[in-house]
Amino acid sequence: MAQDQARGGHVALPAVLRRLPVASVSTRRPPLPLLAAVATIGVLAILPLAYLVIRALGADERALELIARPRTLELLTSSVALAAGVGLGATVLGVPLAWLTTRTDLPGRRAWTVLTVAPLAVPSYVLAFALIAGLGPRGVLSGTLQSLGVEGLPSIYGLPGALLVLTLATYPYVLLTTRATLMRADPALEEAARSLGDGFGTAFRRVTLPLLAPAIGTGALLAALYAISDFGAVSILRFDSFARAIHVQYRSSFDRSGAAALALLLVAAAFALVWAEARVRRRAALRVPHGARRAARVVPLGRWRWAALAFCGTVTGLSLVLPAGTIAYWLVRGLAQGEPLRLVADPIGDSLVAAGAAALVAGILALPVAFLVVRYPGRLASMAERLLYGAYAVPGIALALALVFFSLNVVPFLYQTLTLLVLAYAVRFLPQAAGTTRSALMLIGPHVPEAARSLGRSPWEVLRTITLPLLRPGLLAGAALVFLSTIKELPLTLLVAPTGFGTLATQVWGAANGGFFARAAAPAAVLMLISLASVALLLRDGEHSP
Amino acid sequence: MSAGGISADAHVAVRLSGVEKRFGHITALDHFDLELPSGSMLALLGPSGCGKTTALRLIAGFERPDAGTVEVGGRRVASPGASVPPERRRVGVVFQDFALFPHLSVRQNVAYGIRRDPDRDVRVDELLELVGLRGDERRMPHELSGGMQQRVAIARALAPRPDVILLDEPFSNLDQALRTQLRAELRQILRDAHQSAIFVTHDQGEALTIADRVAVMARGRIEQVAAPEVIYAEPRTPFVATFVGVANLLPAECRGGIAQTRLGPVTLIGAPDRRPEGRALSLLRPEHFLVREAPDGPVSAQAWQVIARQFSGSEILLEVRAPDGQRVWVEAGGQVRRLAIGDRVELRLRDVETVAFAPSLGIAAPTGSGHREGALAGRAKPPDDQREQPPPGGPLRSAPEDHHAPPANETLETVEPPVH
Repeated sequence: MAQDQARGGHVALPAVLRRLPVASVSTRRPPLPLLAAVATIGVLAILPLAYLVIRALGADERALELIARPRTLELLTSSVALAAGVGLGATVLGVPLAWLTTRTDLPGRRAWTVLTVAPLAVPSYVLAFALIAGLGPRGVLSGTLQSLGVEGLPSIYGLPGALLVLTLATYPYVLLTTRATLMRADPALEEAARSLGDGFGTAFRRVTLPLLAPAIGTGALLAALYAISDFGAVSILRFDSFARAIHVQYRSSFDRSGAAALALLLVAAAFALVWAEARVRRRAALRVPHGARRAARVVPLGRWRWAALAFCGTVTGLSLVLPAGTIAYWLVRGLAQGEPLRLVADPIGDSLVAAGAAALVAGILALPVAFLVVRYPGRLASMAERLLYGAYAVPGIALALALVFFSLNVVPFLYQTLTLLVLAYAVRFLPQAAGTTRSALMLIGPHVPEAARSLGRSPWEVLRTITLPLLRPGLLAGAALVFLSTIKELPLTLLVAPTGFGTLATQVWGAANGGFFARAAAPAAVLMLISLASVALLLRDGEHSP
Repeated sequence: MSAGGISADAHVAVRLSGVEKRFGHITALDHFDLELPSGSMLALLGPSGCGKTTALRLIAGFERPDAGTVEVGGRRVASPGASVPPERRRVGVVFQDFALFPHLSVRQNVAYGIRRDPDRDVRVDELLELVGLRGDERRMPHELSGGMQQRVAIARALAPRPDVILLDEPFSNLDQALRTQLRAELRQILRDAHQSAIFVTHDQGEALTIADRVAVMARGRIEQVAAPEVIYAEPRTPFVATFVGVANLLPAECRGGIAQTRLGPVTLIGAPDRRPEGRALSLLRPEHFLVREAPDGPVSAQAWQVIARQFSGSEILLEVRAPDGQRVWVEAGGQVRRLAIGDRVELRLRDVETVAFAPSLGIAAPTGSGHREGALAGRAKPPDDQREQPPPGGPLRSAPEDHHAPPANETLETVEPPVH
């Protein structure tokens, strides 16, 4: 069972969590081509954002007025409130689920492990669409109730809907980080507390919870970051968040400096969250002892297991069954009404092309990054890693705007090209590819390529005959992750893609935004299937992770 | 400085001259000189962290020296500013973890370095025969036992007929039962292949059994290079004396090649300029003592008391203490085997020849890894490795921790490496 758990433990550990422990002073200097490659990638990641800053600094008075409006503060406040609420909600759902699936005799624990993690892969806008199409004013539920004579359901638009959807989409972050720690923590600690006279609950509060705090903090941070950057769900749910306001500002005004300035504010808010979490964590400064020697004792739930099952069932029902059911309902209804299926064909084609290219490029870019980090640990490597993962925390809408500005003004020949879009995807999701490649590379001991060198092969030959063949599974897994993430990506696609280029994501978003539920159902169904595929892949990948 | 030039004597497989290597603030090798005659086997012996693996990596070309030169097979392969890459050095390496290519079969692993050799298949067969792996050539590395993996690694390194083969702690990943057997096998394989070899170990038993010559290292320098017997019988420094075998360093007055100890005179050996005059410490191995049970009756002033006892199957070592606090480890044979802690014994010296160290050499304390274990009684092996069997060269054990030097020498705790 411990091994079964380990699978779940590494699932989709978000890139931000995969920081290396700061390595000791490196003794070997990385070769120049490697440095040049990583530097180029770093520039690719940083340049658009730097340009955003320049652009915002050059904003005229009108733009500054726009920022100084009380409305800006209002938006910022509501976004931060949403982020905080989602972080809290994700914790409330995630921590008990983590505990139930690791430490108790919950019936069907293995299945619940998979089911409760699965929503991680469902894009928030698909969840939002499903919620509205299911529970909204013109949705399945109200339609059924109206036919029974019941009117006036409470509105799910606005804050309540956004909170619900984003919490359901992000609690797996907390679940995963907490699970990983629970499984690594030495059960002897709890036993020591028990032997010193603490009851079960007291020991949990005094020993286990403080050990879990950093993991919970990280998970909650990821949830909050997701919420503050989210663009798709909030716009479908008509919640006035900052990210949505940026999009509106960008679309409705000719002077785009205002949007740039707002986007920078959003970036600042995101980094403030990261900073706050890092501070809290440093204060906690807790280390979880590695390598539990034995599995922890299984806590018998007794009569509580019905409550536990109900809890797991509700969460899974809302985050998986409800969306799947709703999408199926509208799909069938749409087909019955003659909704043309071929409308899905084009977006599928566009999605496959863009995602395939992005996966390939990201897989290639991941190689030098992984090599630098694994083979030449040191200040330089950790800087490069932080930079790339830091760029990952930049909200998608801000990155999208930055790329629009940058391409329009600096590289106009790239503006609205597939090339730019693919590069943008690749750089954005690079940490995912770099993460799996890094894990695979760490499994190849440094002596293996050295042995090949001493047997008379040049560095390039060693790469071709030894390292790349051994890296293949990790590289493929990383590319697959990027592929799946790209297919689900929304803001970059909306703003950077060439005119007329529509992916499944933009299709769902556009149709759901306009209230065309039946039209949104088919692409949403495809996305849902892809999401499940990515969960399967992540779970499989988790087995190989060290 | 040109790398790759041909030097005069080609019968030297490896030569390091004045090599220095620093990692940040740490000096791994310091004025390091080493020479390996063609066809011979040298063990590089020293405590963890003394720089022995660094020396190996410099020869293989995985690191570059900060100063000094490295020659392999008569060619200069490294000097500051110029370095022949590993693939053109003709140096084979057997790593501690074997570093087999996990995606290649046994046969493909062995053939990896000789893919351009027209007689490749014959050569691979020959090597598989040599290491006793005929019939296993299609298996994958993960299907092999540790001992078999090691043999694949050796065959793979031998295949291109390198000028020298380097082995980094070749036995540390194998279990106890395998080690003794594989040591003899490895020696035979390398002999049959007329292969020059250097292997690194922190295990004196390994070093003394396999090598023609042993180089004892401490803190980035060579302390002594000599045949195993010489290393044991005539160590040049207190460090070597205590690192190899169990050593008692007894205060003595030396004059004209004779050291006068509290137990009588011993003859000093070695070159005259290595025999100290005046106050010194004489090296006495446990087998240099004759132990006799003290007669009943009043306790004699000469009586020693047994304070510790170590049984290792073939022999028994006793630690005994004189009334003035002096302690020594002695070998107990015959009827004194049954002596117990608290019993009193009388000691005499056999008619032995040994060495003595001038006080300026200090009391040996292998400080390289931070342990100060067994300053007097000798440190047989690093304390983290308790799996080794006694080698023929001398009893192996870690002495209890708190045995300090006699008061007269307490100020002399560390060894300064002597200048050669």
